[in-house]
Amino acid sequence: MSAIVVSKAHDAATRPAKRRRSGGGWKQIAVNQAFLLPLGAAFVFLVVIPLGQTFYWSLTDFTGYDPDASFIGLANYASILKDPSMLAGLGFTLLYAVATTAVITVLAISLAVQLNKVFAGRNFVRSVWFFPAVPSMAILGLVWRYIFSPLESGVINSVLAKLGIAPVGWLSDDGLARFAVVVVGVWAATGWHAVLYTAYLQSIPEEYYEVAKIDGASPRQQFFGITLPLLTPAIVISTFLLMTGGLKVFDLPYALTGGGPGFATQTITQSIIIAGVSQGRSGMASALAVLFTIAVAALTFGQLRLTRALERRLS
Amino acid sequence: MTSPLWRRIGLSAWMILLACVIGIPLYYIVVNTLKTQSEMVANPLALPTGLFLDNYREVLASPRLFRSFGNTVYVTAVSVAAQLVTGSLAAFAMLIWTSRWNRIVGNLFLLAFVVPGQATLIPLYRTLVGLELVDDLNGLVLMYMGGAIFCYFLIQGYMRTLPFEVIEAARLDGAGSLRIFWHIALPLIKPILVTVGIFQTMGVWNDFLIPTVFISSPDNRTVVLQVFNAVSEFATDWPMFMTVSVVALIPMVIFFVLTQRHIVNGLLAGSVKG
Amino acid sequence: MARQHPYLASGLALAMSFSLTACAGASDDNADGTTTLTFLSWVDEERFGPVVEAFEADHPEIDIEMTFTPPVNEYVQALQTQVLSGTAPDVFLIAAENKTNLIDGGHVVDLSGEDFVKNVEPFNLETYGRDGAYYGLSLASWAGGYVYNEDLLAEAGYDGVPETWDEFLRMCEKLKDAGITPFLEPADGIPFTMAAWLGAKTEGMDPTLDQQIFSGASSFEEEWTPLLEEYNRLFEDDVMTRDVVGLDGQMVLDEFTAGRLAVMPAGGWTVSSILEAAPEMSWSFAQIPGVDGREPYAAGAASPGYAINSASDQEHQEAAKVFLAWLASPEGTELIFEQTGDVTVTSDFEPQVDPHFEPLVDNIRSGRIYLPMIAWERSEDVLNVEAIAQLQRMVTGEITPRQMASALDAKLAAS
Repeated sequence: MSAIVVSKAHDAATRPAKRRRSGGGWKQIAVNQAFLLPLGAAFVFLVVIPLGQTFYWSLTDFTGYDPDASFIGLANYASILKDPSMLAGLGFTLLYAVATTAVITVLAISLAVQLNKVFAGRNFVRSVWFFPAVPSMAILGLVWRYIFSPLESGVINSVLAKLGIAPVGWLSDDGLARFAVVVVGVWAATGWHAVLYTAYLQSIPEEYYEVAKIDGASPRQQFFGITLPLLTPAIVISTFLLMTGGLKVFDLPYALTGGGPGFATQTITQSIIIAGVSQGRSGMASALAVLFTIAVAALTFGQLRLTRALERRLS
Repeated sequence: MTSPLWRRIGLSAWMILLACVIGIPLYYIVVNTLKTQSEMVANPLALPTGLFLDNYREVLASPRLFRSFGNTVYVTAVSVAAQLVTGSLAAFAMLIWTSRWNRIVGNLFLLAFVVPGQATLIPLYRTLVGLELVDDLNGLVLMYMGGAIFCYFLIQGYMRTLPFEVIEAARLDGAGSLRIFWHIALPLIKPILVTVGIFQTMGVWNDFLIPTVFISSPDNRTVVLQVFNAVSEFATDWPMFMTVSVVALIPMVIFFVLTQRHIVNGLLAGSVKG
Repeated sequence: MARQHPYLASGLALAMSFSLTACAGASDDNADGTTTLTFLSWVDEERFGPVVEAFEADHPEIDIEMTFTPPVNEYVQALQTQVLSGTAPDVFLIAAENKTNLIDGGHVVDLSGEDFVKNVEPFNLETYGRDGAYYGLSLASWAGGYVYNEDLLAEAGYDGVPETWDEFLRMCEKLKDAGITPFLEPADGIPFTMAAWLGAKTEGMDPTLDQQIFSGASSFEEEWTPLLEEYNRLFEDDVMTRDVVGLDGQMVLDEFTAGRLAVMPAGGWTVSSILEAAPEMSWSFAQIPGVDGREPYAAGAASPGYAINSASDQEHQEAAKVFLAWLASPEGTELIFEQTGDVTVTSDFEPQVDPHFEPLVDNIRSGRIYLPMIAWERSEDVLNVEAIAQLQRMVTGEITPRQMASALDAKLAAS
């Protein structure tokens, strides 16, 4: 590929890093901070204060019914670390978050590149991919349960039956059930992320591709030389959202498998909710939430640093 | 975008075929709204034998449905507008002034994505009881301001790809920050504003968690809440459940089809801008 | 409790849908001398509204402000948050899921001295009681048995239903030979079959089975293992597919009404669905076949009880008692039965149920029903969650019945 194209693409990607700078005097700073104020207020009110309250409760024997709980130090934390079932969801939560992040990123970028081309039926295709993200998981979970039904009347199994294949117990085998939950997770979010990538594709100037074409770059070279490097800010954002969302997943496995078979598809948030809501152990649930917050923060900020470093390197 | 005709037809055929497979669950939902329970059980994927519209008739006759539509429109419009303004203001501030302080604040905001929602719900409920905003549509709007952090995150990422010199030039011309924000930055980020606006409109419109927590009187119910209340009456009637969901979603389908044009417009603006 | 369908709990009532409905809070004396009573229902307005209206017509001095939150998780969460925030209503429901917390925290008023509990089946009152005190006025129960498709049974040469588990398994074999799916019981909860067997077993025990387990005199391993082994024969003899792990009650009901399934476990709430979806079918309810020489029995539990908020002032507590007394009267129970279909258990009103469900009515009205979770003395939900997960592992063949039972002992010891 031509050196001009490469340097131009790099130029575009590094633009922000090179050219942003601190501006003006105190007045400028005051205006600037005033711009941040509304968001800062929402953040403090909706995140910081409630999180502080949760942390306080995590140090008490709070049942969820009586605000005057007594202080018990780190006992909740100790019992979580001792109880294997509280952490039963850890493995599947990690598997789900990593698998969906990886698969969705690859699929969504490919889909976005196709959706950015002009073809008949594009709006229809985009809508169909996007809409799974919209209805509640309660109804999608129900529909997918029917699709994965182990009975011969299940959607997949009835297709298999026509091919002469015996019915498969999609949700009654540990591995298949995990696979099924990941498939539905990918199905539900790929279109959403593709729409996000589409917005970023629009910020890539058309003439980069024209220059590249004149220089004889193949579509493949154009993709890896121009599109992908210029999409890295979008990849940083999309993978961050996928990772945090994946680690916090609750409603999909709950609606589809209820966490079963056994503990195969149980997630950490499910443990928090079970402990907090149905078992009246809100102090314990708070402690679990705090530990979970710290773990997710550590994981995703590590991931963010990594993708941002990649972003700089690709530029 | 001038590929040969046969290639465009091929792409079209392949993409539509794939979309049809992806769309099976959506088809499943829609087709079963036109059936009775027993018809659905007998053959869930088949086309309905006749045009059975009783499910829709019954749902549309629900006395509070239209009022709940009004509530949802109010909550969605106000909160999405507020989120977009708040989020893009903050993203703009981060863009024009990169200090250590702003970087720290920017990273702190990301904590909002990390905290599991279940952990903050009960404390927030207690705060809203104190503010007398429980069972109040404005209380919902306040709760949805958390979405502004999401908008901020997406918009600031997008702003990083913008040509900064345009903003710098305006500043050298003596334009105030607000003016630059309004006349220069906002038009440049239109594609992401439309995209984030779509995401948030869908999210707020369909949210179930926050309304169930914070709304109790029937007059203040949002569409989704009204739908779920209706569902409890038809607990075993899945076609009815799906019908109610489809009715709640139809405005969103129309909204998405209409706003899609703006995504395409954004594309044109983008190529001119470069 | 007709609303506590297994599939509703799993499919619709996502626990994520916390619903902490605000209620009207403290209600003051009204200018016209009426008292406003707040009430958080878990039956929707359409069905429970007429009950409240009839009460208000009889008692113009009391005005009821009813709000509704669907069961079970949403309701428990809503009530919990309101109790916590001091905004709980004057009357609410005490259920299996919240009774321990409500009683321990002293949030509910003891009703044992009131006249209106005298006509109520003691089994129901004791379900929401402790040490002789009654904290919930439970006016109905639900029961689960087996539903038989008589048309399919006839194809295999049967014109009656089996009384014992051995006979039942034999019948299933015959059905299978005739090419009919004999039996499907979803593994998304403790099976009705197990519940009924445990109920039949504890009936003849004093102290009860659960008292022995929770006092340490016996164990889950000792009491549950033989029954779990009997249950496991379903899989060992290949009468039922291990894929029931992926099923829910609705799917099984669909198979049944479509005429593809001979027997299913079900409760009274399925009657109207079956009548509507399969009007031509001849079918019947029966108690669950007995095992180890014991009588057939039914799964089931007392519906949640109406409870009075101990934080309400004297005047509102008195008004609440008037409301509860009216609900327990023949007039009130009749209307509750008409509106909700719940089979009531007061001695002075006899509900006329659909004939198909008749075989289980005596169990309900005499308290001959059993559900492990509600009979357990503590850590109910912890044990229930564990039991379901371990049951699924047993069904998939990962662990033995004995391992499943001892996992419950381990859980009980740890909690």
